[in-house]
This record gives sequence, structure tokens and C-alpha cells, in this order.
Amino acid sequence: MFQLSPEGIKEIKNELGRYEARESAIIPSLYIAQKENKGWISPEVITALSELMEIPASKINEVFKFYTMFNQKPVGKHHVQVCTNISCALEGGRELARHICRELKTKKDEVTADGRFSISNVECLGSCGTAPMMQVNDRYYENLTPESAMNILRGMK
Amino acid sequence: MEVKLLTEFYHLEEFRSLEGYKKNGGYLELNKALKMQPQQIIDEVKASGLRGRGGAGFPTGMKWGFLPKNGEPRYLLCNADEGEPGTFKDRMMMERAPHQLIEGMIISAFAIGSKKSYIYVRGEYDFPIECLRVAVKEAYAAGYLGKNILNSGFDHDLDVYRGAGAYICGEETGMISSLEGLKGQPKLKPPFPAVQGYLRKPTIVNNVETLAAVKYIIRDGAAAYKKYGTEKSTGTKLFSLSGNVKKPGNYEVPLGYSLMNLITQEGGGIKAGRRLKAVIPGGSSAPVLTADEVAKATLDYECLSAMGTMLGSGAVIVIDDSQCMVDVLGVLTHFYHHESCGQCTPCREGTGWLNKIVHSILEGRGRLQDIDLLLKVADNMKGRTICALSDAAALPVLSFVQKFRDEFEFYVREGRSKVKGTTYAEMHH
Amino acid sequence: MPKCTINGKEIEVKDGATIMEAFRQVGEPIAHYCYHPGLSVAGVCRLCICEIEGNPRPQIACNTAVTPGMKVSNKTEKVKDGAKWILDFHLINHPLDCPICDQAGECGLQEQYMEFGKYDPEMAEKKVKKHKVVDLGPSVVLDSERCILCSRCVRFTDEVSKTHELGIFNRGDRSEIGTFEGKKLDNKYSLNTVDICPVGALTSRDFRFRQRVWFLKEGNTVCTGCSTGCNVKVYFNKEGLFRVKPVYNEQVNGHWMCDEGRDVYKFVNRDSRLLQGKKKSQGVWSEMSPGALALDAGNTIKSTPPAKLAVVVTGHASVEEYEDLLKTFQGTFKTANIFHWLNNQESFASFDGLLIRGDKNPNTQGLKKVLAKNKIQATWSELENLLKSDSIETLVVVGPENQAVYPDFAEKISKFAKVKNLVWLSSGGHNDFTTLPHYAWLIPMKTFVEKSGTFINHAGLEQKFQKVTTVVSEALTVSEVCRLFQGDKTLSPNPSRTATFVEASRSQDLVTLEDRKKNEFVFKRGPL
Repeated sequence: MFQLSPEGIKEIKNELGRYEARESAIIPSLYIAQKENKGWISPEVITALSELMEIPASKINEVFKFYTMFNQKPVGKHHVQVCTNISCALEGGRELARHICRELKTKKDEVTADGRFSISNVECLGSCGTAPMMQVNDRYYENLTPESAMNILRGMK
Repeated sequence: MEVKLLTEFYHLEEFRSLEGYKKNGGYLELNKALKMQPQQIIDEVKASGLRGRGGAGFPTGMKWGFLPKNGEPRYLLCNADEGEPGTFKDRMMMERAPHQLIEGMIISAFAIGSKKSYIYVRGEYDFPIECLRVAVKEAYAAGYLGKNILNSGFDHDLDVYRGAGAYICGEETGMISSLEGLKGQPKLKPPFPAVQGYLRKPTIVNNVETLAAVKYIIRDGAAAYKKYGTEKSTGTKLFSLSGNVKKPGNYEVPLGYSLMNLITQEGGGIKAGRRLKAVIPGGSSAPVLTADEVAKATLDYECLSAMGTMLGSGAVIVIDDSQCMVDVLGVLTHFYHHESCGQCTPCREGTGWLNKIVHSILEGRGRLQDIDLLLKVADNMKGRTICALSDAAALPVLSFVQKFRDEFEFYVREGRSKVKGTTYAEMHH
Repeated sequence: MPKCTINGKEIEVKDGATIMEAFRQVGEPIAHYCYHPGLSVAGVCRLCICEIEGNPRPQIACNTAVTPGMKVSNKTEKVKDGAKWILDFHLINHPLDCPICDQAGECGLQEQYMEFGKYDPEMAEKKVKKHKVVDLGPSVVLDSERCILCSRCVRFTDEVSKTHELGIFNRGDRSEIGTFEGKKLDNKYSLNTVDICPVGALTSRDFRFRQRVWFLKEGNTVCTGCSTGCNVKVYFNKEGLFRVKPVYNEQVNGHWMCDEGRDVYKFVNRDSRLLQGKKKSQGVWSEMSPGALALDAGNTIKSTPPAKLAVVVTGHASVEEYEDLLKTFQGTFKTANIFHWLNNQESFASFDGLLIRGDKNPNTQGLKKVLAKNKIQATWSELENLLKSDSIETLVVVGPENQAVYPDFAEKISKFAKVKNLVWLSSGGHNDFTTLPHYAWLIPMKTFVEKSGTFINHAGLEQKFQKVTTVVSEALTVSEVCRLFQGDKTLSPNPSRTATFVEASRSQDLVTLEDRKKNEFVFKRGPL
């Protein structure tokens, strides 16, 4: 059963009072809860938020399912997102994504057996001048080659 | 040739901090503006001919003029949900010069009489958000934000809001919905945001680059700003150059600059052994130009519009002759299908349909009539929805098929790419 | 009050009216799914596009205000072609499973296709797969593949019931209506979502697969579920009634009704009805035709001294019936012992803020008004005293149609069973009727859909309703029973074809009992 930490609850209560509309706290609160739930949002998370925030679960669920940065299933410790949109695609982004999957012996949108990585393709991340690129958790890695990307990933604990 | 108006000090690491920013002219224009009449600022912006740098190119001063003239509370929202594929200028601006944006925003807020503003940043921009949050804190501490700014009697609060991954939130009413804590679905217009926007209050939404430019219009005056650019496209603009070009990056050039020069001079040209095939001049939603057309194009609103495409966000995506246009279009249809918010039927269903047809062709299941069907479906998605995403999804399809029809026909007949000679499976699996 | 021209017809509309409202006002057909007059404007189906003179781009009628002199048309080639395509966009991922869909026959997609579509579909790709037969809640079932995401149901739960159970989850063509995991669409108004669903996505658990809608007739009446008096339409065929839906009445119920009210058809159908008159004489039951039984009971009533005669009446009959009842018992039989049977008195005044009221009678106000007019002031405690002191010889009970809302029904049977002669007018049967006294008359009565009359609702609003259909031919109305009590011979228990119900000025029913039997299935057929 998911439970928010006391700090998380405090942060969410703070967000609830921060904006003109209480609902504006939904996105920030989902971020807080996702961090506390190993990087993804389970139905229990929505229920907990709904009770804490006094906002109908259906409305929080609508927001959660609309935005791609909220993960609908478990992710690895290092969530790798490779841009495959146009500028990166022109410079080998799709090949990079395939290469990483092959090297880490996993499939797109799945978590590696050791739980360390999950790989997914992602739409444009605004890093088109430094294509191809990937985002690992919150950080951007740019001007990649298949080799340099793997070196970066292998260096992660 | 680059003209570094906004980006003059971007090479300085210190420009990110309040101290470094102030050392290089920071917050001088805020001081100046707070001593002006708000209407003077609006008039100056109007006179400068500044047009929205986010994509639509709507005259900024005119937009401000739509606000009701009463004292009703109003909001200024900075659109930093830079999502148009190929665009990465706002990201650089927020990372290198967060105070420049904040200063531009305070001046603009003073002009329109807004006491509260938000910078809505796309959620993926973790580092820019960090830069902005630090800068906002610094600005509050220095008295540039909060109560009675620089003893002018003007109060203003600014907050940074993090989006969560949705292209549609770059559409101003989609962004407003998102900021209100809803799905980022665009709102029906009328009412327009200037009349009823964020929480049904009058709201102005401007792009990062637009708001930052306001500082320089106040610094140099409208007349000086207008010296750059063409009659209808004044000033400088940041272009995000990407794709098959040697030196991709952000370049600030005067509007009206030659597209070919941007590619060959700033961008260093096409890689050795390759030739220019096509350019998408204004972000992925802009119709594609062939190499012949590129030679004639200048980077201003009127020229590109006359050529049937648009300046958009200023994202110039260069495609060389090693690329298969059917394959590239597949990337774009996939993107719009992924990003359609699902509200309006023609867009919700049409983006999926287009993507399926293009992928049928790519996977060797295409029929010749599918090529015309693509045109028909795309044509009927245009102008039929609440926002422009449907048009944005349709336009690339129309231009790719019309201008590179031979590649599509070859693909349908042979089941493989005319350019690469291989099937989709061979290319991508 | 701007004037505008809609498809060449000039009209004046109220200030701020939209083009959609102008089309509806002038009666010009205009395709639409997401627009609903009782909900906010969503503007998402895009089907209501029309061309405004001077505007190059077609606009949607639901979100465009009429301006003075505006000339609008939805008959231009541009609009027709556009609407066709927009309809196609609605249908490309629709399963087109009309033969097994409950909505067939009253489906917006079918109707609009025949009116505005009729194109050859070109979709050759695989359709999007979504959830089917989703258990949304106790009353509603969802088929997501049929859903066109008009968002009416979501807006209903957000804006009207304010219960917020529904949402649209995911983006683009992966969007689906639903509730949050584990939660149910469970509110007292949930079936309105089925009514406003323009397609077969939301269906009523009660009604689904029971009848094809084209085998049903419909007629308007007033809901008897509570004192609000929602205007409703009942759907029926010769097997009985199948469903109840609201009919718009701004003053009373707007566009909606409650789920409870939708069950009022159940006590009307034959399986819960009293079909034959029953008489208990010296403890032995025998069956009689209702008319003969009423005549027979009349003899006993007539022979009862007025002081020993009493009447108990509920708020379930019509104003006209109450008047006849008073005329008969106060006027002819000279008794003032007329008592108002109030059910669930504790919660009588309760109101949920939308439609549901605690007074579960359609005509409490009507009864009170008629009693007051006739200066009847007898209180229930007087009746209790009379019963206790065995002062009542003959008691006539005008019972409720809807026994379910009378929690004290069984208790009252045992209480009234103490009198010597008990005459009970009832549309429905009840197990405890077997315990009635040695001398009892159980007279089968008509229900509200089988008669015409007037109800006065909680706010004092008089609502006339017309007979919709006949379910039990020989059952009687209170007015008919009253005349039979007085021995009115024109109402023969064994009628010949010429023996008609008289007093045509009062009764609208001029057919003979024979005719009634033969024409049990006589309808006012509305458009399907």
C-alpha cells in the first residue's frame, strides 16, 4: 500500500495553497508522489492523492493519464528516454534507441531484469541541435554516438 | 551574419547569475520602464512591430491591446513549453539568461497592469527550470519582484510552473488549462484569453523570446529595433538549426535573412558527399520546402507565407539526400498522433488515420489510392478544430506528399524506399 | 434581440443566443453530438459546422453567438462536404455493430449518417481496440469502442449531478471514458448519462437487450415517483412498459430525472398488478369482474350509517378522482370521515437540491387542496381513535399505486383489517391482502399511465397528463368506482357493445370494455 511521507504530505499541502486554484497543485503533487513511488504512479497513489487533496480521483486520473512524464508502469532506476523525433531521427536517434535496447538486452518500454534500466522512445525534448540525445531520469545527454551512450549508461550505478 | 541583440552575452557563464547579469546591463531597462507610463511601453512595443516568437507570429502590442481597459485583475503567462520539434531556443535562453526573461516579464507585466505572472516550462526542461527558480529567488531578494518594486509602487509576483509532458500545452489555451490543473486541452475561442483566460480572468500569453525582446525595445527604442528585419517582420530572431547540417545550433539573425545563408554560413553547410534535399523552415508543423525553394527563401513571416509555409517557431530542420521522405513523414505522423489531445473528432481520429496510412505504406501494405487518401484526410482535418494541432498534423502530410510524390509512389509499388533501397523492417528492426 | 437568417428563414433570437439555439428555434435540422442544451458547450464533435456569410471559414454553431444581420446556412456544399467528413472521422474507429447494439433505431450516428453522411467509407486500416462491456456502475454499462467522446456524460457528472465519477482518460484516439479504478458511476441520476449518450456507448442495465426500440411506442406523462412531478416519456408495447425517460420541462425538471423515477413503470406492468376483482365473504374468497365487484361493494357502503363509514386516501390519485371521491362520499354518502394517509412523514420535506423529494406521492398537494376546498379537516389520530373504539363499520381505502414507497403498507393492512367491511382500491396485489377481514372487496385499479388527469406538484404547479396506454383493461379509475358505488347502471359489469362509460365530459375514455380488451394496444405513437 502506498503512503506519502510526512515531507511529501507537507510539500503537497504547500502546493495546494500556492496557486489560485487548488487543482493547479495536481501536477506538482503527482511529481512529488511519483518520486516517492519509485518513479511511477500506481492507482494507490491516485487514491492517496485524492484523499489528501480532496479532489475527485477521476479528475486526478485524467491529469495523470494525459501527461507523458507520469509513468503508468514501473520504470528502472535509470529511466532512459531516447528522442526519436525528427531532428534526432535524421541524425540516428532511432538507431541509438535500438542499439541501447540491444546492448542492455531489453525491449522498449520494459525494465531490465536487474531493475536498473528502462528504455523508451520519446518525442522531441528540445535538444535538436545536439542530436541524437537521451534523457536519463532528469538529465540530458547530448551529441551521442551509440558507443558514448553505452559508456554513459554503463557508468551508472 | 548573426546580429547578437538578445544573445550578446550568452557566451558568458556569469550571465546566468544576477550578479553577472547586472554586470552586463541587467535590470537597467526595468528601472527605465518603471518610470514610464504603462501605455508608453505598450505603444513602444506596438511601434516596434514585435511579433510573437512562439510560432503564430501575432503582433505582441496588438495582443496586449485586447485586454479590457478596466482595472480587472489580469495575468501574464510566459509560454516556455517549447515543444515544436526542432525548436530549442527557449531552452538556451532560460539556461543562459534567466534574468533576461524575468526582466522582460516584469516590464511587460507593468505595461499591462498584471500583478501575477507564471512561467510555464515544459516538464522535461529540468535544468532550465532550476536556472529559473534560482533566478526568481535572486530577483525577489534584490527587490525586482514582490511589493513596491524599485520604489515604483508596482507589485508583482512571479512563479515557475512545471508542465508534465504534452506538446499541446504549447498552445496558449492548452497551457492555460494545464496551469489550471486540468488536462492540457485547448479551450474554445471565443472567449479569447485576453478577455477570459487563466481562471476566466484576462490573460496574456507570450513566448520566452518575445518577452525577452521587450527589454531591448525599451533599451533601444522601437525605431532602433525596427532597423533590423523587414517592414513586416521586424527585429532579430533566434533560429534553431538542426538536422543534416554540419554546425547545428541557435543563431540570432535579423528577420529577412537568407535561409540558404543560415544553412551554409552559420550552419556550415551540408555534410560532405551529401546534398540538400529539403528544409522544414519553422518547426515540424511547417510545410516542407524543396532544395529549389530553399534557394529563394528568406526568413521572414511574409516570404515564407507566400511560399505556402511558415516561419513558425524558427526551427529550421535540414534534410539531406540520404533521407527517405516517406520515412521522415512517418516520424511526423507518429508524433502528431501521439500528441493529439483527443478533444476534437477530426484531429483525434485523423491523426491516427494519417499515421496508420503512412505506416501501411512504410510496411509495404500501401495501396496507390492511399496516397490520394492521405491528401483527402489531411485536407479535411484543416480548419475544423478548436486549435491548430490538427492543421499542424495535416500540413506536413500535404506538403510531403505533394512535393515528394514520386518517393511515395515508388514505396507503394516496390514496398521499399526509393532513397534507401531497403524496406522499413530493414531500416528499423 | 438580434435578427438573423438561418437557411433563408429570418428570425429574432434572444440576446447572446448561439447559432445552434437559432437553428433549434427555427426548427432547421443541424447535425450535432456534443451540444446539449442542459450542459456547458464543449465544441468538440465539430459536426455543427455552418457557413456564415462573409466568413471564409465554417464555424461551429454551438459556440458562435448570433450577431445582428448574420446570415447562416448549413446547406452549402462546403458545409455538407465538411459534415460528411467529420461524420466519417467519427465512424472510422466505430465498430459499426448496429445489429447487436441496443442503441440501434435511436442512434445519433445512424440518424446523422442517413441525414448528412451517405458516403462510401475509405478507412482500410485496423480500428483502435478499446474496452467493451465495462461495468460502470449498478445501472450503466459502457462500450468504449462505440463511444465518440462527445463528453456529455462527463459534463453531466461534473455539472449536474456534481458527483465527478467520470473522466476521459489518455490522449488522442486512445482516449476512453471511464471511472477511476474501483470506483463506480453510482449516483441517483446516473441513467441520465444513458439518455444523453448519442450512441450505444452507455446503456441501461435495466433496459439493455430487452426490446428493440422500434418495437416500442411512446407517450408522455408525469412521473409519480415523488412530488417533483418530472415530465416523462414511457416506452411500451403490448407486453407492457419497458422504460421511462425524462421530457424537458424548464419549470419542473429541466432535462433530467432521477434513477428511482425510472422504476415507476415496474408497478404498472401486469406481473405486479391485481388483474381480477376479489371478494371475501364470510372468510371465503371469490373472484369477480372489477365493475361487478364495485357495484357489490356499493351496496354495503350504501347500507352503512354515515357515521360508521370512513375513507382513507393517499396522494397517488388525480385531482379529478379526489373530486369525484368527495362528491360521492361527502355528497352522496354524507360522511366527513375522510382521512389522508401519509407515508414516510419524517422525511416528507427532504429535498436533495436537484429533483428528488421526500414526499413520494405525485399529488399530495392536489389531495390537500381538494380536502381543504371541501372543508375536510379529519386528522389521522381521529381515525386511529375510531378504529380503536370499533366505531367504523365500513372502510374504503384508496391505496397507493407504488407500494414500494409506502414502508407502512403491511402495517396499515393489519390495522385496517379490524373493521367489519373493508373495501380496498388497489392497482397492485400484496401478499398481506389475504389477511383482510371476513368481508372485503379488493378492486383492481388503473395506474397513472392508463388514465388522464391532473397532479399538483410540491410547488403547487398543476400538471395535466393524458392516458398513454392500457395495461389491465378491466381495471377501474377512482371516478369509475365512485359511480359504481352509487349504483350507476350505465356501467354494467357485463357490458354489451353499446354500453359505454358515460359522462363523456369528464372521462376521455369512450371505448367499451370489449373494445378496450380488443384494443389493449392503442397508442399515441410519437416519432421514434
